[in-house]
Amino acid sequence: MSRTTTRRSLSAAAAAERGQGGSSIDRQRRKLLVPFVGPAFIVYTLLFIIPAIGAAWISLHEWAGSGPMKFVGVKNYIRVFQDDLFMKSFGNTLLLLFVVGAAIFILAFAMTLVLRDMAGKKIVRNVIFFPHLINALVFGVLAGFIFNPGGMVNTLLKPFGVTEPPAWLAQDNIFPLIMATLVATTTGYFTTILMAGVDRIPPYYYEDCALAGANAWQRLRYVILPLTWDVFGTCAVLWTISSVKIFEIIWVFGGSSGAGIPPTQSWTTAVYTYVTAFSGQSTPAYGAATASAIISLALVSVLVVFLRRAMRRDAVEF
Amino acid sequence: MSTLTAPDQVPNQAPDSRTDTPGKKRSKNYRGVSPALRAESNIIRSIGVFLLWAVVAVSIAMLLWMVLQAFRDTRSILSSPWGMPESLDFSNFVRAWTVGDFATATFNSVITTAVSSFITVALAAPAAYYLSRVESRLTNGLSLYFILGLGIPAQVILIPLFVMLNKVYLTDSLIGLNLVYIAGSMPFTVFLLTAFFRSLPMEMEEAAALDGATALRTFVQITLPLAKGGILTAFVLQVVAHWNETLLALTLIQSTEKYTLPVALISFVQQQTYSGADWGGLFAGLCIVVLPMLAIYIWLGRRLTEGLTLGMGK
Repeated sequence: MSRTTTRRSLSAAAAAERGQGGSSIDRQRRKLLVPFVGPAFIVYTLLFIIPAIGAAWISLHEWAGSGPMKFVGVKNYIRVFQDDLFMKSFGNTLLLLFVVGAAIFILAFAMTLVLRDMAGKKIVRNVIFFPHLINALVFGVLAGFIFNPGGMVNTLLKPFGVTEPPAWLAQDNIFPLIMATLVATTTGYFTTILMAGVDRIPPYYYEDCALAGANAWQRLRYVILPLTWDVFGTCAVLWTISSVKIFEIIWVFGGSSGAGIPPTQSWTTAVYTYVTAFSGQSTPAYGAATASAIISLALVSVLVVFLRRAMRRDAVEF
Repeated sequence: MSTLTAPDQVPNQAPDSRTDTPGKKRSKNYRGVSPALRAESNIIRSIGVFLLWAVVAVSIAMLLWMVLQAFRDTRSILSSPWGMPESLDFSNFVRAWTVGDFATATFNSVITTAVSSFITVALAAPAAYYLSRVESRLTNGLSLYFILGLGIPAQVILIPLFVMLNKVYLTDSLIGLNLVYIAGSMPFTVFLLTAFFRSLPMEMEEAAALDGATALRTFVQITLPLAKGGILTAFVLQVVAHWNETLLALTLIQSTEKYTLPVALISFVQQQTYSGADWGGLFAGLCIVVLPMLAIYIWLGRRLTEGLTLGMGK
């Protein structure tokens, strides 16, 4: 990180030295703008940015996908906020974002501290990272098997005298189970990122701690935390962005999804958007569906800006 | 104590304590490491270490268990979920492959993943190179423009994309899906590769320029070979992302013969609501989704973790 910044400032200084026009290689490079950046720019603008702007536009209309679009202003937003289903989905998204997020962070940080100087660190790190590469669908399907009435959990509990185990996959219990599954499968990824941050701390800081007689808590408070603060910030931003997208695991969780739509108690805003637009069970309401998506985007933007403000201030250079 | 007597030894020891190889070598190093770097041995810590190894054991066991169950028939899976397969019976895989349409889905997924990941990197690499080498207000703006996409969740662009692609007959088409994947991966790939190109030394390029190579030739013959590692990392990260992508594929693809693996898996799960649970076939399907990722992870694991953490580390 610090190397990049010095290199950049060096090149900036060099550019300033050469004067406004830059060297011939710089001038030549500048001509490559269109052939080099053009294709990426066009594809990205056409199939990502324009749809995103289109979403904001559609959310102001009442539209069933075909036929005329009727401009209704912010009515769709008012409508979704009065919709109990949306409020439930939104609440679930917030639960994922904050409760699951907090659990992941506490666990990941604890794991990082234990892992930091433990034997076999690499093996552990490699194993706990792997779930990140697996489609969350897989966990949803597996959970259905593990928690079904004759499944593994209940057979495990039987020897302990639990003869009437809770109905794990009852509609009201599914969402807490999803949350637990997400904590179990995502913590490893964030541990890996935090580890990369903690590993960057030069060992002589710890030596200094030992010489100064700092205890474990003081070392954590005055060395490890301040020096990994920016990594924490990055992780928080990452989780904010990815938690709002959570869809697959809810879609198949428990495999009990009846008509193909998960029980409404476990919906998130992503599921709400998808079902409102594409379920085929009622007239698609594209306006309300995109309004829900735009609300999640607003949530992400606000939180990311807030996190950047809150976490940026004392990034320590070392 | 060693810190006081021989401070210059510290940098030498530091790498040792980090590249901890388990077993004999580690324990030998242990005494040489200064007290500050030595793990405190208290109870909480031991519990933590124990729990971590438990997590590792359970994770590996789960994976193994899933693969083993794929070789048993549904009835024996249900009657004893802890049982072992009696013989190497591939009938689940055959059934998933034929009845569950996993064959075409696997083919579609492999093609889509390979094509879209390749084109993503092919488009993003030059763009990232330009953004990393030319400093101007325009490139700063462009970098920001690309990074913006990182924060936009897929469900936002879902409906407009569907409408747009429908107009040009690219819904229910793997070409359309590929295009969407390429566009959707642009932010992350450009971001990652820009960071990577910035970390490459400029001297070689300057030397090439002094020798009279054009900027384009410098990029193709000097920078690209140097950047092979970073580009491979970006490619593999996209392979993982596109192989697992579900929401867009579920929306944009409707006909069975164009399903990608996650969509086929969902439809297989949903069929069971009507035709009774076929856990054997389902486990086989899960294996088809998971095992290629395991292979890639074993083969290129370090690149993946480094790419993801470096890309995030700023």
